[in-house]
Amino acid sequence: MSRLDRWFEAMTRQSARRVSRRNWLARFGGVLVGGAALPLLPVARAAEKHAVGEDGVKGREGDPSRCEYWRHCAIDGFLCSCCGGSHTACPPGTEMSPVTWIGTCRNPADGKDYIISYNDCCGKTFCGRCMCNRNEGERPLYHWYRNNDINWCGGAKAQTYSCSTAVVVKAAKEAQPEK
Amino acid sequence: MKLVLATVGFLLLAQPVGADSYEEHDYILNCSGCHRMDGSGSRVVPSLQAMPELNGKPGAREYWIRVPGAAQAPLSDARLAALMNWLVERFAGKRPEPAYTAQEVGQLRGKPLRDPISKRNELLRETAR
Repeated sequence: MSRLDRWFEAMTRQSARRVSRRNWLARFGGVLVGGAALPLLPVARAAEKHAVGEDGVKGREGDPSRCEYWRHCAIDGFLCSCCGGSHTACPPGTEMSPVTWIGTCRNPADGKDYIISYNDCCGKTFCGRCMCNRNEGERPLYHWYRNNDINWCGGAKAQTYSCSTAVVVKAAKEAQPEK
Repeated sequence: MKLVLATVGFLLLAQPVGADSYEEHDYILNCSGCHRMDGSGSRVVPSLQAMPELNGKPGAREYWIRVPGAAQAPLSDARLAALMNWLVERFAGKRPEPAYTAQEVGQLRGKPLRDPISKRNELLRETAR
């Protein structure tokens, strides 16, 4: 331990003797700014594609805060993960609607279909962030059971729509018939 | 090695459970959004847990297929018949006797109810007499 102490002391004293304070500040500033600029490089953006996110899915399709997230395949609304909640939980002050619109999405990691429940969070004014409108397998209003323009907050205590979640109910036997 | 096997076993169990049958899959996909997983419905959706009220009453068997949710479900006659056999057993507590067939279901869903609630009250009144 004392060897480490001695080595560190020597290093510090040496740098104090050789490097001016301004020089140190300039270098430190360079590291700070350079570090912040790193994600702007194409290298960092290429790495994002291979990062494994939620449910073992790579890239944006595995990021619950993005519209491209695989479970959002039939969503129409604001993502709760951008509104103080998550893709499975409502933001504070809102209530999850007990009635919900249900469809299937294919998980690109295992190629299987899952039954997704898009429970709306209700009771506060609409969130307004991360609008996502993909509507895959959605049908017009006259097929009410596959329509997501209905206010699904109808079953909650307060009917003001705030944002939408995407909960996996079960693995599906097959994709929904509209796909 | 035991630890590895235990971990693998745990991970296999931790996979999302697949719907056990097509009946359950069809119930979750086509009914549970409004009637909810336990059938209890909500302020705006009738409860399936009230189905035993109609048990054994004349016309109930036909009524259950002619309601909008069943008649208009995006399912073939055969799949709807299987689903309703399963659903009636689960919520009314008794498997329909005889079981619904695709042919029977096909005929009944061709005559959907315009006013299911009043039809239901009518069924309840008739047998109260």
